[in-house]
Amino acid sequence: MSIAPIELTESDTRTDRPWITLVWNDPINLMSYVTYVFQEYFGYDKNKAELLMLDVHEKGRAVVSSGSREEMERDVQAMHGYGLWATMQKDDQ
Amino acid sequence: MFKRQWGKIILKLESFETEVLDQLFDQMIALVEVEQMPYEDPLERLVGISGPIAKPTDPALARLFPDGYHDDSEAAADFRRYTEHDLRNNKAMKARIAQACLHQWPGKRELSADQANAWLLSLNDMRLALGTRLNVTEEGTERDAENEPGFELYDWLTYLQGTLIDSLQR
Repeated sequence: MSIAPIELTESDTRTDRPWITLVWNDPINLMSYVTYVFQEYFGYDKNKAELLMLDVHEKGRAVVSSGSREEMERDVQAMHGYGLWATMQKDDQ
Repeated sequence: MFKRQWGKIILKLESFETEVLDQLFDQMIALVEVEQMPYEDPLERLVGISGPIAKPTDPALARLFPDGYHDDSEAAADFRRYTEHDLRNNKAMKARIAQACLHQWPGKRELSADQANAWLLSLNDMRLALGTRLNVTEEGTERDAENEPGFELYDWLTYLQGTLIDSLQR
């Protein structure tokens, strides 16, 4: 299966949002669960949540949010609470 | 299994399933709950920010509490110090909320939104812990006589979690 990468929207890539949260693929979490978490926590609609989940699954990782360092620490901690494998880093794009 | 009836999430279990889950919750709580750790610095004790800085050596715990930074070990240690205790306590709390449902009444249970959420997260934690112990990989893992009981349990937890996700999304 091949799908286009998720393009970040303009508001995601502003220079005042220099940090990103990545979710990494893992063999245990169900695809339906990962999609559910993206909808539930980030409030993404089902379509965007599914595309992000597929990106994680097919490409090994996906950027799921961006913002300040503090915001990303909150997101990463929340993802770990859900059992997703997430890390944060400075956006080097 | 979980079902949605009249807009409510219903959990229906056989009595032997209840017993198995009860034991699994006990094991999960024992695995994740924070041991009383001595504080080295009185100030840290006062503000309660002292936590572990090293990734757990147990692979199951390392999966449940991964590093928050991929390529910055110093930042990862700092992040862990601030977050791991909270994450552990939260996972233990969710497991206790879900476990308490088992004792409400036998057979069939109606779950509140909070209880359903606690079940969703706890079942996932159990699958992560068990799946790590079973060396589940993307390619699949060879099943043999030794790990077969573990895989049967893992598959059943996967099925349970699947029925809960279906019920939550309808």
